[in-house]
Amino acid sequence: MTPGARARRALIVDVAAAALIAALVLSLTAGLGVVAFFALPLLLLGLLWIAVERLVVWLRRRRRRDG
Amino acid sequence: MHSLQVEDRARRREVPPLPPWRRARRVLLIAAFICLVPIAVSWVRMLRQPRNVSWSIATVEWARSHGANPLVSQVENWYYELNAPSKGGPPLKSLPRVGVTTASAQPRVHIYRPPRVKPLIHPALPGEGVWHPASAVAGRRPPVLLTTFRSDPEYPQFVAGVAWIDTGRTHLAYVPGLAEPPELENRGPAEVPPSKRDRIAATFNGGFPLETSNAGLVYHGEVLAPMVDGIATLVEYQDGRIDIRPWENGEHVNPKIVFAKQNLPPIIDEGKLNPNLNDGPEWGATVNNAIRVWRSGLGVDKRGNLIYAAANYQTVESLAKVLRRAGAVRAMELDINEDWTSFITYRHPGAKEPSNLLPEMFRPDTRYLEPDERDFFAVYVKGSK
Repeated sequence: MTPGARARRALIVDVAAAALIAALVLSLTAGLGVVAFFALPLLLLGLLWIAVERLVVWLRRRRRRDG
Repeated sequence: MHSLQVEDRARRREVPPLPPWRRARRVLLIAAFICLVPIAVSWVRMLRQPRNVSWSIATVEWARSHGANPLVSQVENWYYELNAPSKGGPPLKSLPRVGVTTASAQPRVHIYRPPRVKPLIHPALPGEGVWHPASAVAGRRPPVLLTTFRSDPEYPQFVAGVAWIDTGRTHLAYVPGLAEPPELENRGPAEVPPSKRDRIAATFNGGFPLETSNAGLVYHGEVLAPMVDGIATLVEYQDGRIDIRPWENGEHVNPKIVFAKQNLPPIIDEGKLNPNLNDGPEWGATVNNAIRVWRSGLGVDKRGNLIYAAANYQTVESLAKVLRRAGAVRAMELDINEDWTSFITYRHPGAKEPSNLLPEMFRPDTRYLEPDERDFFAVYVKGSK
């Protein structure tokens, strides 16, 4: 299996797992307000984390290229 | 051919598989995104409904009504604890002017007026505890009187606003709001109806939303939420009588009741403060009873007239003390927080020159002249059309 195919399969598995978790969370919690209370900060923090990570990688690459 | 080239290039790059923690992060973020889809649909639908509060208040209310009430209340408690007022401070030099100062002669016949509220802090400020008519055309027997006084010697800057409503001269109406109570088919205009504005004397906020109060509501003979024994209940009967009493009839509702609105246990009963005013859980799933916020309450004096009180930085206990000092022998807490506390009087017929009881009241004095989210009470003058 090529690395690309492996990555695609992993993505499908992850999306399926995420959908399962979301369905469980939505059905088990007291209401959408509770889910929003946790899901929104989680998503924002996660996206911020990824953005910072990408920024660090980009800065390192630029320093290596310039230096 | 093209895909073979791509795969070949990918193989050459030898992309390493994602480490487990990154996959876990990806799963969580995708799950959060999926969860937010129905949330966004519900939230946008709520925002598109008619309302007269800001989107931020509407969002908080949406969260409360979608299961997050304990979480929102906890955050509110933390916020108010962090921003608690400090004791003492420079003394006030004057009180906000309320009502209308009349220079009319004393009435020839004796007309009952409540006694001046005895000031708590000495020396008293000019006009402290002195009742003034709310309307400029009230005549010799004003249906609504207003006053202010400093409510707590430890916090000499806190001013309570109090209104006295002559139940012999007025009729109290319960007005459903746009969203409260939630289960109601014919909810009416959710504002003071234009056809009744020539008789309007005052309007004031209702109690907690049914979802957070776990209390009962009867409206035009229909039980919208089952009545709960022991809970303070504002009742109006078909003959126009008004009372505030702890409910004792179980689920049985007297057919002569026009409306019965419950909210929390009584804060004053038979002239005595509820001994549990310092216990947190009894006061509902809202902000803690000891947190100092805008609070409002309604009581009856020994003649059966209504007394409304509201002030910022009140605990349940301090609000009860304000109402008792103003003459209430039985009383209940109504809604709290700056967004929901309103007492508005109208200086001229036709709901002209509306005025908040206290100038710091957050909501505009036109609040109930346009459809409002929450249910409220309207005080109409009897005997004139």
